This record gives sequence, structure tokens and C-alpha cells, in this order.
Amino acid sequence: MSAVLQAAGLGKAYRRTWALRDCTLAIPEGRVTGLVGPNGAGKTTLLGLATGMLMPTRGTITVLGQRPAAGPAQLARVGFVAQDTPVYARLTVADHLRLGAWLNPGWDDDLARRRIGQLTLDLRQRAGSLSGGQRAQLALTLAMAKRPELLLLDEPVASLDPLARREFLQGLMQAVAAHGLSVVLSSHLVADLERVCDYLVVLVASQVRVAGEVSDLLASHHRLSGPRREPSSLPAGQEVITESHTDKQTNLLVRTDGPVLDPAWAVKPVGLEDLVLAYLSRSGDDTPARHQHLGVVS
Amino acid sequence: MIRLSLLQFRIQAMTVAAVMAGFAVLLTVTGPHLATVYAADGLSSCHGGSSCANLANYFTGSLARGPYGVLFPLSTGVILLAPAVIGVFWGAPLIARELETGTAALAWNQSVTRTRWLAVKLGIGGLAAMAVTEALCLMQTWWAAPISQAVADGASIGVAQSRFSQLNFATHGVTPIGYAAFAFALGVTAGALIRRTIPAMAVTLAIFAALQVAMPLWIRPNLAPPEHTVNPVTSLGGAGPSQTGPGGDTFTLYALNIPGQPGAWLLSSGPVNAAGQATSTTPAACTSVGNTGQSAGAQGNAFPPGQGPAAFVDCLGRHGIREAITYQPASRYWRFQATETAIYLALALALAGYCIRRLNRRRS
Repeated sequence: MSAVLQAAGLGKAYRRTWALRDCTLAIPEGRVTGLVGPNGAGKTTLLGLATGMLMPTRGTITVLGQRPAAGPAQLARVGFVAQDTPVYARLTVADHLRLGAWLNPGWDDDLARRRIGQLTLDLRQRAGSLSGGQRAQLALTLAMAKRPELLLLDEPVASLDPLARREFLQGLMQAVAAHGLSVVLSSHLVADLERVCDYLVVLVASQVRVAGEVSDLLASHHRLSGPRREPSSLPAGQEVITESHTDKQTNLLVRTDGPVLDPAWAVKPVGLEDLVLAYLSRSGDDTPARHQHLGVVS
Repeated sequence: MIRLSLLQFRIQAMTVAAVMAGFAVLLTVTGPHLATVYAADGLSSCHGGSSCANLANYFTGSLARGPYGVLFPLSTGVILLAPAVIGVFWGAPLIARELETGTAALAWNQSVTRTRWLAVKLGIGGLAAMAVTEALCLMQTWWAAPISQAVADGASIGVAQSRFSQLNFATHGVTPIGYAAFAFALGVTAGALIRRTIPAMAVTLAIFAALQVAMPLWIRPNLAPPEHTVNPVTSLGGAGPSQTGPGGDTFTLYALNIPGQPGAWLLSSGPVNAAGQATSTTPAACTSVGNTGQSAGAQGNAFPPGQGPAAFVDCLGRHGIREAITYQPASRYWRFQATETAIYLALALALAGYCIRRLNRRRS
């Protein structure tokens, strides 16, 4: 299976601070990938590198097998909706559709007009007077009607109310189903991604903490609770993501590819949100968090 | 991409079209009258000579006191300001506003490379800038033709300005094309580097204004090696000497025109002694001639015979003082126009090239 987005040792520094570093990733084709992390974790930087809006300081990135924004053909294969879904405030909705048609040889005007019709947007309305949700939908329509193979969305729903959020994600999922495109969307809220994503990348403090199929991640992470004991006594292959202790009890969130056999543990599955939160609260350095008492996730 | 540029350019273009229309109406309405005044002053039937120059001076002098005394500098000002306004309001926001509003992410993720996006925008904006400014220039040149003719006839007062004067040179011929192209490219570059519209506008204006001041003062005079000539002090077109120092033992004398070189650009002038060296020492024999004359003149009395500025200049001439003049001949006018325009166009192209490279290399 080929990767729609492949990064090796990718890093981007602004002056002396790293916005993203040592990023090695391979996002497979045909997935809806959630890029999740707190604000400032490097999500926008990673998407900026993927669109060619930014140039890497270190390492390499290829999108659909090519250098980002390498030429008109490569640009045509990738759709991008930037943070805050920018549109030209002074141009009308119709102007935006015209703009899309002029600048994209693969423009699907039927798709664009159908979507605008479904959204009941007025073609003569200036984009500057649209609501946040309408603006996001217009930006998504532009990105989808160019018929890309990969759609990159940077916090597309962050500024939307819950209803507009749901409508936006529904529209996105319909398009994915209809055109079989790959999607990478970033969010700092797991709840947004939970319903739509089948692949997850967790970015914290400019580094990738975990990446994988959502189903695999859920299957390999367990919440263990049992009598108080030191996590270092766990068998090899069980990596502690978070731990918390009371006088008598120990609660762990572990990652393991095999089953947990120790009968002392009560083993429970982990929800996606808890799993992500566990990685977000884990310490920043690369050493395993075995000796640190962090992240009380109950 | 061309169609998108035109679509986005609409509002700015309409503003400029309105200004141009107003300018055209103003000049078309007043132009014929200006030509009538020229004819009425008897200039169209005059055939050279000093009487012609007197008529021409009367014409330009009386214009300066009427509404044309406002209209002429106003129309000149519009042409002078046009490139700056274009640089500030068309150039500076071109990239900066896209970055500020985030629409750059929209524009640069269509199936058009950034190079093409910017090249088309620079091309359309640059051509429009040059066309607009030169159109203003040509309109005003047509309108002011009687004044230019009067200058050729020898007028030197009122609204009359030599073709090499700072205001005239910069608003006639082809130089406005160069200024417009440069100002536009400068604005775009400032916007690309500063990434914010308002500061980019300010920087554009500051740099352009500085260059427009530096050009006539320090650069233009050196675009071709100047000519030198030494002339009798009595031929300098009524230039008044001034005496300074105790007892008037030093003096200065500037030339107002160059004998036999009408329309030439006078760069500098100063007296030299018989040996050809610059001097400011009054010959001993002339000290009293000038001094008495000046005090008499200052009190409003008639100069006594053999006294006064004219007698002083005569005296200087008799004692071997001559005037050394550095100038650019009138025949070099178009060479200067072409050179200066070429310099500005080359700068504009260099800036455009830099912007395209930067947009590709550094990315946003």
C-alpha cells in the first residue's frame, strides 16, 4: 500500500525553535487521518510542509510520491483548506466558483454547484458576509471541486458551532465516500475526529507521539488496574503510557501487541479520547515514562 | 490566472479609472482656453528673437497669477504622485494582503504554481501602472503644449520651467513609465518581505520618495559626463553678483543661463580668474565699484554712473574674471530620458525577479 504522505526525519525550525522535528510518518492511502495535538504542537506546520507552503529545515516529505507543490500537476492532486478557512472577503460565492474553474483544469463545476445548492448559499453573496460555517463550507467546496486525490484540512471545524461542525464533517464524509479520496484533517479536539477518522497521528510538542490505524490503536492499548506495584515489574513488550497510584492501587495505561495475561490486573479497553489524552499528558522526552508519576487518567 | 488577476484588480482599477477620467475632463475643458491665451498673447505669430522671449515671459508670468498657476502644478503633481500611489496601493498589498488575510493559502493551493501566480499579477499590475502613468503624462503634455512652446520661445518666469527642471523632467517624456514600473515592483517586494500591508505601504513610500529626491540631485547629473565652458561674465543673463567680506573683497557670481545653449541643464557655475582657477576674491580695482553701487541700490536710489551691479560685472570682466559653467547640453534630453527610464525599468525587473525567487524559495 502506498503512502499519501511520507515524512522522514522531517523538521521545521523558525529561528531557533523547532515547530516540528524528527517527524517520520507514512500515512496510507484511502484513509481519513486525524492529526491531533494541543495548540502549537506542530499540526499546522506539518500541513504547511505537506502543501509546500513551508519548506522543511531538515528531512524530506513526499505527498502522493512527489515533492509538495512541485508543479501544477502536483498542486492539482492536493486540496487544502487552511486554518480559519480563508476566502476572499470581497469576492462573491459565484466569483469563488469561477476562480476555482479558472485555476484548476480538473474542476468539477457540477459538484461545486450542487454543494453550494445543498448548502443554500446565495451565489451573489460576498464571501466576507458569510457565517463561519458557510465560509468553511465554501472553502471545502473549492478544495473538493478541484477533485484532488488528497485533501488536507487544517482545523477546519475549530471555529464552528456544534451544528455547523457536524454538517461540515458530514459533507466531508459524503465526499470521501463518493470520490474515494484520502483526507488528513487536524484538530485539537479528539471528539471531532472520533466519528470520522480511521487513522490517527498524535503530535505533542512538535513531535509525533503515536501514529496508526484507529482500530489497531484501540486493540493494543489497555487500561490496567490492580493492587499497588511498580510498573517496572511488567513483562517486556508492555509499555506504560500513563500511570497513577494510590496507597493500595495502581492504574496503568499500557501499550502491548500481545494479550495481558497477569490475573492480578483488571483489564479494560480504552476509548480513543482517553488514549489520545494519555499520549498528550505523557512527558516530553523520549525515555519511557516508567518512573514518572504523570497523567492521572481515571 | 489572468482572469483571476483582472477580477481581483477590479476595485483598484475602477478607482484609478475615476481619477483618470477626472484628470482628463479637467484638462480637456481648460486645454483649448490655454491655447487661446497663447495665441491672444501674440506668441503664435512671433518669429524668434528677444521680443518673442518677452512675449513668452509675459504669457507664462500672467498664467502663474491666474487659475493656471494652480492647474499647472496640480497636474504636474498628479503625474509625480501617480507612481507613488500605485506602488503604495497596488504594489504593497499584492502579496502582503494575501498573507495577512490568509488567502495566500487559498491562492497558492489551486493548480497554478506560485511563480505563474506572481508573474501574471506582476505583469498585469506593472503594465497597468505604466499605462496609467504615461497616459496621465501624455494628457498633461498635450494640455501644457503652449507652456512648453513658450519655454522654447525663451520664457523663464511664472509657470515656465526648463525641460531639465526636476519637476518637468520627471513628468514628461518616458520617465513616468520607469517610475511607475519601479514603484509597483518596489511595493510588491516590500509586501513580500514585510508581510504586512500598512508597514509595507509606508516603506514603499519612503524608499520611493528617497530615490525620487536622490535621482535629480545626485544621480541624474552624472548619467553622462557633463560639458564645461568658460564664458565672459557679461553674458550671463542678468545674473547679479553679490559681495561679501570686509570691504566687499570677496564675491560670488552665478550664471542664470549659458550663452548659446538654450534649454541646457546648468549644473554648476562659478567665477574663475585669468589663470582659469576658481576664485572669489574681488579684484582690488572693483571693490569700490560694487560696494557703493549696492548701498545706493539698496536705498532705492538710482545707481550713480559707473557704479552698481552692471558696472561691477563689467569691472570683473575687465580684470580677467570669467564664469566657468558645468552643464548638460539640451540635445541630451532624450538620452537622459532613455537612460533614466532604463535604470528604473531594470530595477523594477530585478525586484520582480527577486520576488518570484523569494516566493518559491523561502515559501510563506
